[in-house]
Amino acid sequence: MVLSIFKVLWNNLKQGPSTDPFPFGETFTPARLRGKVTIDPDSCVGCGVCATVCAGNAIKHVEREDGSGKDFYVWHNTCTFCGMCQHYCPTKAIRLTNDWSTAHCNEDKYKMKEQEFVAYARCTECNQAMPNMPHAMLDHIYGTPTKELETIYGLCPECRRQKSAQQFGAHIHD
Amino acid sequence: MSIIDSIKSKAVRSPWLYRINAGSCNGCDVELATTALIPRYDVERLGCKYCGSPKHADIVLITGPVTAMVKDKVLRVYEEIPEPKVTVAVGICPISGGVFRGSYSVPIMLDDIIPVDVNVPGCPPRPQAILEGVAMALDIWKTRI
Ligand code: SF4
Ligand code: SF4
Ligand code: SF4
Repeated sequence: MVLSIFKVLWNNLKQGPSTDPFPFGETFTPARLRGKVTIDPDSCVGCGVCATVCAGNAIKHVEREDGSGKDFYVWHNTCTFCGMCQHYCPTKAIRLTNDWSTAHCNEDKYKMKEQEFVAYARCTECNQAMPNMPHAMLDHIYGTPTKELETIYGLCPECRRQKSAQQFGAHIHD
Repeated sequence: MSIIDSIKSKAVRSPWLYRINAGSCNGCDVELATTALIPRYDVERLGCKYCGSPKHADIVLITGPVTAMVKDKVLRVYEEIPEPKVTVAVGICPISGGVFRGSYSVPIMLDDIIPVDVNVPGCPPRPQAILEGVAMALDIWKTRI
């Protein structure tokens, strides 16, 4: 018992102060620490799952009036860093970084947000707006891409249905 | 330089920190206690110290979503703190209502009732983020004394 306290003291002497040098020096940030959220608009399909599961109600998707896509907002001042959005996102378009530095002046309260524009794709047949599907996800759904699949990737659900029906010899009326 | 300015520049700037819990779940309070009590984060290196009375305080740290029940009590304690004071909202609760936003018992945000200077969001923020907030508050406080 008495000896063990000497061991602790000796180790303390050997290792030096245990105080984190921050804010006068660099601090240690674990790689998997959950901090501020980032969005990759190119891999987002706009499904809205992240907004549905968001514990802090931090995610907002606003459709643009011209139908070109969605504005995607994440407000850091209500994000709990829970990581549910990242967990449920089918394409891993939304991720938590390990950036924990959040302190700011109250005037910047509503500027503490991530904002991205998620553009819709256009059907190559009828020019209808549709979710932009990243290639990785299409490959995951349909398997190894062939020339025929590549054509189908560019079609909206309705045109795709018609094309499949035509393949089976069905006659489609307009 | 006037006498007042010269005294100001020489004055020891060691603010007292005071903490108000406005209905917090205790998560942020634990992180605040961590930044103050354990030597690893040691907020006293910035020259500040926690105090037990609002009458001694310079920088006030507020946690929790300001519930309907606690609102008047927060205001009463806040009024006791002498000027100049700096207010820091710790955690997403006082800033936006956090996960409690929209609840019948959380009708307002903190900056609806008192002037807030610094926000440190997070649920809870890690001690380093709180230290960063306190450092910002210190800078603001120095401009006010
Ligand atoms: S980490 Fe949690 S609270 Fe933050 S945006 Fe994602 S789901 Fe919402
Ligand atoms: S970030 Fe992920 S979950 Fe959210 S809308 Fe985009 S694809 Fe869906
Ligand atoms: S911000 Fe999160 S941890 Fe802090 S009091 Fe609110 S719910 Fe609790």
